[in-house]
Amino acid sequence: MAKKTQEFVHESLQDKDAIASYLKAVMRGFKKGEIVLSDDEDELTLTPETLAQLKIKATQGKKSQSLTIKLSWSSSDTDSEFDETPLFIDAQKAD
Amino acid sequence: MNTPAELFDSLRFLIIEVHKQLQAVESFLETGERAQAEKSLGRVDYIDNYQLSLLNRSTEYLVNQPLYSENGESQILVQSYQHLAHSLKELSRQLETVAYQAMNLSSLKLIQKPNLFKALDTLRSGLELIEPAMLLDTSQAAVDICRLQLRISKLCQEQLEKYQLRLKRGQQTKALMDASFIIKDINQLGEALLRIGESILSANLGQSIKLERYHSLTETVSALDLDPNAPHFSITSVAETKSGCTISGVSSSNDPTDDELLAIFKEGKKQKLLEEKKGIESWNKKFPGIAPKVYSYHKSGNKAALLYEYVTGETFDQFISNLDRTNLEAGLNKLFSLLLEIWDETQIKDRHSADFMGQLYKRLNDVYRVHPDFDLSGFKVGDVEQVSLESLIKKAAKLEARLKPPKSVYIHGDFNIDNIIYDPLEKQISFIDLHRSEYSDYVQDLSVFMVSNFRMVNFDPDVRKLIALSMQGIYEFGERYAQQVGDETYHLRMALGLARSFLSSTRFVLDTDHAKAMHYRGRYLLQQVIKLKPKQYETYRISKEIFRE
Repeated sequence: MAKKTQEFVHESLQDKDAIASYLKAVMRGFKKGEIVLSDDEDELTLTPETLAQLKIKATQGKKSQSLTIKLSWSSSDTDSEFDETPLFIDAQKAD
Repeated sequence: MNTPAELFDSLRFLIIEVHKQLQAVESFLETGERAQAEKSLGRVDYIDNYQLSLLNRSTEYLVNQPLYSENGESQILVQSYQHLAHSLKELSRQLETVAYQAMNLSSLKLIQKPNLFKALDTLRSGLELIEPAMLLDTSQAAVDICRLQLRISKLCQEQLEKYQLRLKRGQQTKALMDASFIIKDINQLGEALLRIGESILSANLGQSIKLERYHSLTETVSALDLDPNAPHFSITSVAETKSGCTISGVSSSNDPTDDELLAIFKEGKKQKLLEEKKGIESWNKKFPGIAPKVYSYHKSGNKAALLYEYVTGETFDQFISNLDRTNLEAGLNKLFSLLLEIWDETQIKDRHSADFMGQLYKRLNDVYRVHPDFDLSGFKVGDVEQVSLESLIKKAAKLEARLKPPKSVYIHGDFNIDNIIYDPLEKQISFIDLHRSEYSDYVQDLSVFMVSNFRMVNFDPDVRKLIALSMQGIYEFGERYAQQVGDETYHLRMALGLARSFLSSTRFVLDTDHAKAMHYRGRYLLQQVIKLKPKQYETYRISKEIFRE
């Protein structure tokens, strides 16, 4: 069975420069294929590959504005016993 | 058909009441005694009650059946009882109308005609046949009930023509019009009788059936020397195709666990089936045994029926769902050897483009009808822009115009995963659903095959992994072939073919997440190929990540 879903949540007030550095950290993580998130107790490592689903949502209200960027991708379940080797294909033209 | 007491008894009461109503109406029309008319109207409440009780009992019956009983047989049976109840109620309502209208006539003379009484007699014979038809093992009595409708209709027609002659002479215009309406109502009684017969036929044959269809079945199965009225004859619904054909398996055994099918019976639009018949014949001419044998073909109006050999084996989606890697590998290898042979022997110099973008463009509206969310205009964040799907397709079409395949081969044309059958015992591949075969780009068949793997509605993580491996196997097989024949634009055409199938086949996918996954992959591939520079054309490869979901 797959492991239970792990979750990491962070919320704070930041200035422009700090926000840009967070976004840059995510960018670097994406290029590297590894984004590590941690706090005092836990550590969570995400492993994005080449493709990810991107969802951008922006709202403008009277009191506030927001921008949500959601990135999601499928992950391979490392616990599975599934044989990941490619299928053996050696088809030749029949005589 | 099956006659469980709780349903059959209710139905018998209903028939008896309709019978009484009919008798009273007949007697009123003969004698003009209003008491008889009142008596007929008095039956209506009883009939309502019995109809309701039958409907309630049929629901209860279904609830008490073990879940997922064999082939949904109880559902069909209960549906047949419900249809019977509705049709009998409909008959009763028509009889009520006839009685009311006749009561308003100043004289019954005009309708006291032999044709009318013969029509009502015919109806009574029909009502009397219902019980025996349900109890018999064969469908003959049910067909007889259906046939009585023709007789009623003929009698009514004759009578209407007589009235029309007199109307032309200008006599008793109003009275003749009133009488005509009554005859038309009696004609409607025949229609209700036809539906009763069809409900019994459906229950006997184990699937919903119209008399018209029963006839094409009878005509085609006679080629197998089978009698559809024989007690052991049965047909089971196999599938409904996207092109609107119904497919049934024909067997000489009525044991549902015995899957010895003798033939496949396919019925639908004449055009489609004629194309399929031609496709089968042309494949068998080129590669004997690759397509099922056609036993018989029968057409009637714009409909047709085709009876062909039942091919043993399994479709590739079954190997994947069962995580049967061994047979999937063996089957794919067998299929690929066969494709190499087909492509080699049927190749022609004509460089026929598959026109993937043209095919996609034609189907866009159908996609948007199912998924309105996909119909988006372009999108921009700052200076980063995502163009609309339509403009992507237009740009990709320009590229495609420059990418003709090096040659054309005879392709299946609808190379979906469930149209290819592999028999692991005989080690044999068969093709079915051959109505779109033509000379074209081999990438068309390969890309359709790959996306039909992805489209499978099975989200088990291991199944998805096997799907990805299967797609990768197909892609790489095509790549090796392309290298052998010096096809330099294989990967680009494959990207366009995959994009076309990913995007257009979402019209068959109702699961939103699954449809999105396909839609995004299609868009992604188009974006990729249109931003390539000509010098990158040869080195472009499709990321195998898109095969995973």
